[in-house]
Formats: sequence, structure tokens, C-alpha cells
Amino acid sequence: MNSLSLIRQKRIGQLKSLIHHPYFGFLVVGALLLFMQGLRAAGVNISITVMRTFGLTMIYVIIGLGFSILLGYAGLASLGTAGFVGIGTYLVGYLTTKMGFPIYIIIIISILGAILIGLIIGFISLRIEGMYLAIITLGLSEILNEVFKNAVEFTNGTNGLNMSTIVFFGTFEVINIETIFTALVFILVLVMVITFNIMKSPTGRAMLAMKNSESAAQAMGVSILKYRLMAFMIATVYAVVGGVLYMTYFGFSIPSSWGLAFSLNILAAIIVGGSRSIYGVLLGTFMIFGLDMAVFQTINVSPTQNASVAAFIARFPEHTEQLSEFFRSLNGAIPTMSYIFNGVLIIIVIMFYPGGLYQLVITLKAKISKLISKVMKKVKVYRYGEDR
Amino acid sequence: MAKIDKVIVQWFLHHRIKQLESKILFEKDYHPFFKEDKKEQHLQKCQRANQTMQASLIQPMIQAGKPSDDIASLLAHKLQKVRTRYYWKNRSLQQWYSRHQEDNAQYQERKRKLHQALLEAETKVRNQFEPSTDMETANAVYETLQAKKRKVYDKACERSLAKFDQKMKQATKRHESILSKLEPRLQKFEDKLLQLDTSNSQLEAALPEGVVLKLDKLSMHFGGLKAVDQLSFEVKRGEIFGLIGPNGAGKTTVFNCITRFYKQTSGNVYFRNRYMEPLNLSKFKVHDVIKEGIVRTFQNVELIWELNVIENLLVAVHTQYRSSFFGQLFNSSRLRKEEQIMRQKAMKILADLELSHYAYWYPLGLPYGILKKVELARTLMVNPDLIILDEPAAGLNDIETVALQKTIRKIRDEYNATIFLVEHDMGLVMEVCDTVCAISFGKLLAIGTPKQIQQSTVVREAYLGGEA
Repeated sequence: MNSLSLIRQKRIGQLKSLIHHPYFGFLVVGALLLFMQGLRAAGVNISITVMRTFGLTMIYVIIGLGFSILLGYAGLASLGTAGFVGIGTYLVGYLTTKMGFPIYIIIIISILGAILIGLIIGFISLRIEGMYLAIITLGLSEILNEVFKNAVEFTNGTNGLNMSTIVFFGTFEVINIETIFTALVFILVLVMVITFNIMKSPTGRAMLAMKNSESAAQAMGVSILKYRLMAFMIATVYAVVGGVLYMTYFGFSIPSSWGLAFSLNILAAIIVGGSRSIYGVLLGTFMIFGLDMAVFQTINVSPTQNASVAAFIARFPEHTEQLSEFFRSLNGAIPTMSYIFNGVLIIIVIMFYPGGLYQLVITLKAKISKLISKVMKKVKVYRYGEDR
Repeated sequence: MAKIDKVIVQWFLHHRIKQLESKILFEKDYHPFFKEDKKEQHLQKCQRANQTMQASLIQPMIQAGKPSDDIASLLAHKLQKVRTRYYWKNRSLQQWYSRHQEDNAQYQERKRKLHQALLEAETKVRNQFEPSTDMETANAVYETLQAKKRKVYDKACERSLAKFDQKMKQATKRHESILSKLEPRLQKFEDKLLQLDTSNSQLEAALPEGVVLKLDKLSMHFGGLKAVDQLSFEVKRGEIFGLIGPNGAGKTTVFNCITRFYKQTSGNVYFRNRYMEPLNLSKFKVHDVIKEGIVRTFQNVELIWELNVIENLLVAVHTQYRSSFFGQLFNSSRLRKEEQIMRQKAMKILADLELSHYAYWYPLGLPYGILKKVELARTLMVNPDLIILDEPAAGLNDIETVALQKTIRKIRDEYNATIFLVEHDMGLVMEVCDTVCAISFGKLLAIGTPKQIQQSTVVREAYLGGEA
């Protein structure tokens, strides 16, 4: 070794340490999302639906990250996510349209409110475990849903609450979707970093200890009360902040969105993706929500609107009526097919990859690298002959 | 009213004292660590400067024809590179020839060309290392450049040293100022607490000097079943105390009463912690016991399967972290420092128990003996006063049991801990324990040295059955 090559090695090492830094992946995710928005701004044809899908999915990822701490780390199942997200949306809707509060103050208020709610549910969870806890939180969520429907003064009832302006420094401003998308990307990266820190911190370890063995955790000085409350507080804060962002981005909230289906979808996203990894949550949420919104809801095979389908039908003149009837019914069925897809996906994941799709990705990565090394070895033998 | 006042003040003082103690502990742990870290940084900086200097001097040195190890190694390295490339090309050619045996002429031609290319490349590399023809000017250039670079290097080193010194001075000053600020404060609070405390003297009377743990007429009833019945004994500081008894004698119940998993029906458990304060454990919660220095292991290994071995050890020191929750959210520098200190400590303990090989393994799938050892290592993380082992030899083979005896003695001697164990393996108990206590159906049968217990007829009857 001489000094020159030492210096070169050191530079490579610096680059490597940058790439292997745990935050690097989060920044890449953020950069990709910003790049997509930049492409759209530069004139590349990306439809508004796709952009909206990505925007909403980012919000669901934030909600899902909170839930993954609750489920994957503290081992507590909750089906009340939808209710808390709903609270967030109505909070920001009411405070902005009726009171004219600026958004940053609303976020602080909502975080404080979420901590309060989390404390209440945490206390409930001390006595109840497992499935019963899920049922209790489900009940709570349904109560909240009824409140949303009937407190017309605050929520505008079943007609849904509209919000087309937000308040920044004292002035009402019309929601600009592009700006909020950019803000969402930054918030998402921040939330991912924070979640990663929680997972790797003593708090995360204590929660895992509590999930694995309560008696061992207690013997090691982990207060069950404290960490259950903390887990619920974190999950609720994430959910309520997600609600605030949803309302700010989407501008519309209706009680029927915040029912059991939403909670179950979040749960499904976490289970499909992998409950203990941030990328798993990202992957699962894109599978469950993103595919539904970007693919299943947008496919249109109605013969009157889709030219290629019409051309296909025109090829069989004698069966025109049956074929157009078939495509018309198919067009009605496709949006609901995401349920079937999700169901099959959950069954497959739970049966074969209990660690979620993230585990599948890791296994595939290992297998592919193994395959590549095998192929490279064969190529080497072909080119240079066997080692003597 | 006055009484409630007193309780609140007492609670507050206790709280403050705990806080100050932990602050002082962190400071004392952190200071040497910080020193070493900074020193290493300084040395690294100097080394880097040296490397840069030598790298920039290589070309002039070659020109001036100075002999140097660095140049020789660089030349050898470059030649090696050329030769390696030739080796692979040659092998590729051989492989081609094995497939085209008939084309001998082309093979010879290609081989000759390849060899020529090698020679050319070698001479090219050698030419790069030829000294210049005009030696004198080259020498002069080299010398001026060397002096210049040397100066830069010296300056960089000096600056780094000055910075290091300054940092050291600041750190020592800070360390001393913090300690001088905190320690009198701690003393003040302790004095105040002493003035207030009256219950201390009662506890002091209940707990003789040199006794770490005392059970005083402890009873634990489950419905009609008397699992532990009016049991009293004392554990002295620094001894290995064994609790034996037939199945269902209530040994584990005693453990659970000491570590507060069960609330006893009547009686008291007294404990003297490392500050020689007598405590009544009846008032403690399960997760507070560890802060006083009582740690336990479990009959069936209770590790956290989703964390690797070293993180399993870190769970035990979880109460010693002083960073706030917000510090943890943003991975503050204090948390990182604490984490480094704790990891160093954990690695040291793992090395002590010959487990460092498994530090980053996940416990799921490790052999049972290793898991038991990991659990033992986990108890050592908190500088314990009293280690409670629940059947440490269960599931181990004979060799592992003998190793365990050594480990237990080592822990007692090196970590200054009192060890209190329940065991069915009589060989281990008789070999390792200083005092043995035999119980049956929750009642004390006999207590004494292992020999006395072996000769006791009462114990023999309890184990083998009385005469009919």
C-alpha cells in the first residue's frame, strides 16, 4: 500500500459511506417524487390523476408509518385510524374556513389534540389486548364517524366539508396543488427520518421488548404504561397530521371516507408491505392505495370511450352487441376489482411472506445477486478456463 | 397536612437526586470517552496530512532519483497491475487455442504480439519512474518543494494539536465545572432528605450491616394455596446464595415477590442498594426494581427475538439513557454519544463472556447455552448489586454447566455482585454456593453451608420422602 492508493481508497470510502447512510434512501425517494413533478412542469405528459395518486399515497404513507410503529413495534392492533384521520381533516377544515386560523397553528393544535386522544386510548389499551383492543378502537372510530355525520355545525354533515383556501401569514390563499405537493414531499422525507430514528432509538427497542416479552421488558425496566401510551400517542399524531395534510391537499372531506374500510386498508398496507420497515410501508401503501387509484380507477374499457376497444369490437361484426355489452359490464366491474386484487395479495403475503413484500424484495435481491455471481463465474470459466 | 407536605417534598428530593446521579454518571462515563475520541481524530488528521504530503512529493522524488520505499512499492504495484492484465489475456488466449487447435499460426502470432505488448507496457511504466537527466535542477526543485510541503504539514499538525489541546482544556474545564456544580447540589439534596427521613432508621434496624437482601416473614397465597408461607432469610453482600427445594416448593414465587411481579400477601422484602440505602421493596413497581440494582433472568430464556444480541443487551440499560424523547426523534448528538458508550460497554461484557462473535447475530436459532449466556450478559449491563438467576443450568449439558460455574464465580468477583440462584442441579449448587437455603411447600427447611445441607435429615426427607 502506498499513500496514493490510500487516498484514492479513502475517497471511495467516503462515497460509500454516503450511499450507505440510512437517510440516503429517504432522500432518494423524495428526489424521485420531486423529479416527477419537475417532469410534469417541464411539459411531459403525466396526468393529474397520477399526480393526485402520488400526493394522496404520500399522505397515506405518513399515516401508515405511525401505524407501523403501533403494530410492528409496540404490537398493538388498532382499527381506529380512520376516525383520527377524520378528526384531522375536520379540524383543519373548520378552523380554516370558519375561524381563519393559519395552517402552522392548526398543525400545532392538531398535534396537541392527537396527544390527548392517544393518551385516552392508551389508558384503555392497558386493560385490553389483541383482538379486543382492535374492536374497542373500531367502536371508537365508528362513534367518531357518527359524530362527523351529525355535528353539521362543524362538519357540514354527510354533504362533506369543502376547503378551497388555506391561511398562511394572515391571508387566505387558494390551494395550489403543485406547491402543496412539494411541501408534502419534504414532510414525507422528514417523517421517514423521524420514524427511522424512533425505530432505532432506545424507545423503539423498549417497544419491541414489550411486544416480544412483557415480563422480560418489565424486568429490564420498561414501563408498560409509558410505552403503550407513547405508541398510541405517536400513531395518533401521525394519523391526525395525515388528516390535516389530506384536507390541505385534497380540499374535501366526507364522513363516508372515514369508515372501517379506510382503517382496514391501512392495516392491509402495513401487513402487505412489512410492518417493521419504512420501505415496506412505502411499498405496501403504493400497492394497496396507489394501484387502486392510478390503475383500477382509471382504466376505461367502455366501447363508446375507448377507441381501441371499439376497434376490437368492429373486427367481429356478427357479435357486436354481445361484445359491447360485455365491455360495458366489465367497465363497471374494474374499479371494484382492486378489492379482489388486495384480498389475493394479502392472502399470498400472509401465507408465503409473513414479513411482508419488503421481505420478498430482500430475498429476491439476495437471489439475484447469487444468480449474477453464478453467471459471472460461468463466463469466467468460458473465457479463461478452469483455475489451475 | 404537614405529613402530606413531607411526602411531596420527599418525593421531589428523591426525584432530583436520581436525576443528578444519572447526570453525574453520564458525565463521568462520557469524559474519558470524549478524550479518546478527540485524540483519535487528531491523530487521523495528522496521518491524513502526512499522506497528502507524500503523495504530492512522489513525482519530484522520482525526478530527483531519490530512493524511497514508497516509490518502490508504487512501481511494484504498477508492474503487478500490468502483469496481471497480461496473465488474464494469456489465459484467454490459451482458452481460445484449446477451441481452435488447427489455427496454430494465428495462435503463435497472437502470443508473440501479447508478449511484445507486455514488454512495451513494462518499459513504459519503468520509464515513468526514470529519474530526470538534469539531476541538479530536479534535486533543487525537489528540495524546495519538500521544504514547502513539510512546512504545510507541520502547520497542519500544529493546528490540529492546538485545537486538540484547546478542546481538551475546554472539556476538562467543563467536566470539572459540571461536577463541581452537580456534586454539592447532590450532597445538599441528600442532606435535606436525611433530615426529613424517619423511616430510614426503622429500615436500618430491620436490615443488619452487610446484608443485601432480607425476607421478613414473607407470605404469598394464591387463593387457598400457600405458595410461600412465613419465609425469612438473609442474603449477605458478595456471596452466592442458592435456593433449593422440590418441585412446587415456591422458589420461583419467592423470586417473583422480590422482583415485584407478584405483590405478597404479607411480610416484607428489604434490600440495601449500592449507596448503602436500606429500601423496602414492597413499595416498588416491577420496572423500578432494576434501577436499584436488582436484575433477574428467566427460567425459559426471555430474549427479544426481533433484536440482535448487542441490542438485547442495550434494552437492559434503557433506563440509563438521559436523552429526551425529542432528542431521540432527531437523533441528537447526546443520544449518539450515549449509544456509543453503551455499545462499548456491551461489547466489553460480551468479550468477557466470550460472546463477541455473536454480537450481531439474531438470537433465534442460536444454541440454548449461548442464549442463557446472553441473558446473563444482559443482567451485567446495569452494574447490578443483586443478580437473580432462575435455573441457570436448566437445559445445559455437563460441559456447559461446568463453564457456567466458572462464569458465575467470575461475575461475583469481577462485577462485585451478589448472586442469588434457584437450581435443580445439585452438583452446581453444592459446588458454587456459599450458602444454601432449602424450602419445601413455602416453608424454610434448613439454611447453612452446602455441607450442612447435605447432612440435614430434614432436607433429605423433603426430597426423598419421609419414613413410612
